[in-house]
Amino acid sequence: MMQVIDTSIHAAVAEAIRREAQRLLSTGEVSAIVGYASARRTGAVQPIVINDADSAAQLVFTSASVNNLAVYLTTAKKEIPKTGKIGIVVKGCDLKALVGLMGEFQLKRENLYLIGVPCVGVLASTVQPAVELTSETIAPKCRECDAHLPTGCDFVPDVALPPMVPLETKYATEIARLEALTPAGRWAYWQEQFAKCIKCYACRQVCPFCFCEQCLCDRNKPQMVETTPRPSGNTAWHIVRAMHLAGRCAGCAECERACPMDIPLNLLNRKMAKELKELFEYEAGLEVNESGPLATFTDKDDQSFIK
Amino acid sequence: MSRIGVFVCHCGENISRTIDVERVAAEVGKLPGVALATDYKYMCSDPGQNLLKKAIQEQKLTHVVVAACSPRMHEKTFRKAVESAGLNPFLCEMANIREHCSWVHENREEATAKAIDIVGMMVERVKKNRILPAITVPVTKRSLVIGGGIAGIQAALDIADCGHEVILVEREPSIGGHMAQLSETFPTLDCSQCIMTPKMVDVANHPMIKLYTYSEIELVEGYIGNFQVTIKKNARSVDENKCTGCGVCMAKCPQKKIPNKFDQNIGMRTAIFVPFPQAVPNTPVIDRDNCTMFKTGKCGVCQKVCGPGAVDFEQQDRLVVEAVGAIVVATGFDLYSIAEKPKGSPIKGYGEFGHGKIPDVIDGMTFERLASASGPTGGKILRPSDGREPKQIVFIQCIGSRAREKGISYCSKVCCMYTAKHTMLYHHKVHDGQAYVFFMDARTPGKSYDEFWRRSIEEEEAVYIRGMVSRLYQKGDKIVVMGSDIAVGVQVEIEADMVVLATAVQPQKGADILAQKLGISYDKYHFYSEAHAKLRPVECATAGIYLAGACQGPKDIPETVSQASAAAAKVMTLFSKDQLEREPIVARVRDANCVACFACKKVCPYGAVEEKEIRDRQGNLVKVVAYVNPGVCGGCGTCQATCPSKSVELDGYTDEQIVAMIEAL
Repeated sequence: MMQVIDTSIHAAVAEAIRREAQRLLSTGEVSAIVGYASARRTGAVQPIVINDADSAAQLVFTSASVNNLAVYLTTAKKEIPKTGKIGIVVKGCDLKALVGLMGEFQLKRENLYLIGVPCVGVLASTVQPAVELTSETIAPKCRECDAHLPTGCDFVPDVALPPMVPLETKYATEIARLEALTPAGRWAYWQEQFAKCIKCYACRQVCPFCFCEQCLCDRNKPQMVETTPRPSGNTAWHIVRAMHLAGRCAGCAECERACPMDIPLNLLNRKMAKELKELFEYEAGLEVNESGPLATFTDKDDQSFIK
Repeated sequence: MSRIGVFVCHCGENISRTIDVERVAAEVGKLPGVALATDYKYMCSDPGQNLLKKAIQEQKLTHVVVAACSPRMHEKTFRKAVESAGLNPFLCEMANIREHCSWVHENREEATAKAIDIVGMMVERVKKNRILPAITVPVTKRSLVIGGGIAGIQAALDIADCGHEVILVEREPSIGGHMAQLSETFPTLDCSQCIMTPKMVDVANHPMIKLYTYSEIELVEGYIGNFQVTIKKNARSVDENKCTGCGVCMAKCPQKKIPNKFDQNIGMRTAIFVPFPQAVPNTPVIDRDNCTMFKTGKCGVCQKVCGPGAVDFEQQDRLVVEAVGAIVVATGFDLYSIAEKPKGSPIKGYGEFGHGKIPDVIDGMTFERLASASGPTGGKILRPSDGREPKQIVFIQCIGSRAREKGISYCSKVCCMYTAKHTMLYHHKVHDGQAYVFFMDARTPGKSYDEFWRRSIEEEEAVYIRGMVSRLYQKGDKIVVMGSDIAVGVQVEIEADMVVLATAVQPQKGADILAQKLGISYDKYHFYSEAHAKLRPVECATAGIYLAGACQGPKDIPETVSQASAAAAKVMTLFSKDQLEREPIVARVRDANCVACFACKKVCPYGAVEEKEIRDRQGNLVKVVAYVNPGVCGGCGTCQATCPSKSVELDGYTDEQIVAMIEAL
């Protein structure tokens, strides 16, 4: 049964963001703010970087504020001059990426001013930005969200979250379905998915954790991953991607949103996260952690695979 | 254009028996870049090496592939030969067609095809090899010896006598180890204390030996020639500089009934104690778990009676850092306590022998303390239960040892000899007593060893019964030993007054933890592994760390002393040069690609990764990248595998080389 989700707090949240941004930029506490602004299409929202107090009025927050803005702060993106403190508008899910980046020495907490937003959910990439947020139109990641209210931010609008309606899970259900298949069945499923890939690398460009200045897929001496969109190279790319994100990805699902071919990329990421949780009791993005489970060894680690 | 020389070895018949080496040479000779491919019976022999050298010079070879045994066997040999012919040694690669091919296959046709593939891969790989210049690192000419038993003492004395400083670390309050506990030693029956204590005194007086007793290794960092060792000096509660060793504190201590571990817990000691009167250093330790002062806050008698005021209840554990160039590990052994079933260990215990339950069932080391003139009974063989002299004594060999079903498959090596010695000591002290020995077979190789064992039977009247004991039980004040004599084929039942079990020799408890700190390997029993069982028996695979004594495997005293001196000689070899040349197989970071996530730093087991700042000409910081210190890098390649941006390359094992090998298949 379709349920409408109460997004009434978003207006107050947006207003509070504008006020805080205005204050930060006029006092010079931050040199720039990364946030959301209205885009051309009705209801659409796009990322924006502002560096003067007057532009603070452009900032918005709606259920179409889907982007994970953390990606703009990584080494791979040179758009923002790295001078002074930078403000950034973050949803709970985006904050996990920032926390991960701090653990990987890409960002320093003291160089950031975090404007956390209480969020009831954003729209799926498959619907128009102007539609109402409902149990049908909500992004799959928001169905399993445990971070409606970001913690540890410098500023969070004082707005109470409405009670959350429990929604049916998508990823957990799909993972359970795939786990029940035979290895051959799973292989066939993913081969079918990867066959759609056109090697546009949108997933890589939008991912906050793909911050390498030169991706190994762009190397040709030696060539690690075939560049043309053919099955073997596609599989290689997606496996490299999933492995590189294991223990790091906290599920902002930007890869899946950006993929023009609708490959369920976040499903793969969630499966890896589930493995990490089961094997090492580890969840990415909860705290700044300089050594993740895959870079450390403890005698509690599961040894059963050594026979 | 490469001019590669391929040299295929027959290895006598080891390779040529299964592989058609001529065909391998002929096929590989057709590969692009191969200028010469030939075969020879023994490539590693002098004529074989000369053939290679001559070919390099005459054929103007640029790279060399030797298709023979494992690189672990002869890579060094051939790289040296290549170097002497004027090529950089790292332009030579080994193709392993022995261990990886001829030894593991039977079908000649298929093995030959596989050998051609293996050599072909190495040909493609060697094309990508670069000249690697040698790396030199300075050598700190001080050494650390871990363990103050006979092995550690001998190694320390030998190194110190050569004029190099030694740090000797011992966990117990005194050096001496197990040898100090022994009564007499086989095969000459000279008193252990008489030959051991002078050596302990030599250690104490040696100007080049710095002794840390009651201390443990906390942390080991660094690499060959340049180790940083953190030593934890446990709080002795007695100031070593003030204490004169007069012993008044011990005489006055009211806690007098604490089992002394040195006397295998049959003798008693005080709470402030030296483990035995000949201890080095002769400085007491307060056992804080049993001291009234530490338990109740009241007493302090030792402090009151101490003339120089050496007793210090406030003393804390202290960490000391020492820089050394080499480490000798001599942590020794412990006897298998058979009543126990250690957790997570394959060992199953021997509940049926009543050890720990029947007081007069003791192990060999306890018998040593009973027989020792300085032991708790003053050298009289007396039963722990009632102090009576046992008139019938049964020795049982191979307890734990050589019992696969009980978890230990190895032979503890010393038990046959010490049991023979025990029967003699018993016969000397209890003239009307009778000793029985249950044994599987007597293993007595060694100078004068078999004569010694024969003597125990022929002159000292010990009765040897071939067979094992199934059960022991208490009956009145006797212990009934039920066994079989398989030589005669009958069941034997002996009512004994005392039973001595020759329990297995095991590594010290915590040997695995120390090994992890040192980065050395050990076997499933936690004995430390040598680099090569035959050719490098005193070196660890980890450079700069050497082994001495029973920590490597069961050993008797002569063998332990020999190995300790051998380890000392290895340390001296290392110290004979000021600079150490090491293999240039190290990781390098490509600054342009590094994104400074420092995943490499997290995984590096050697602590070789540092942060490096890159600045422009004006001195502005451009970026921070990872940097691998080539002196510290162990060349394991973990960073290379971990780096998400593939910015780390391991020289000699670059991605290009590996991919070239894969593509050659």
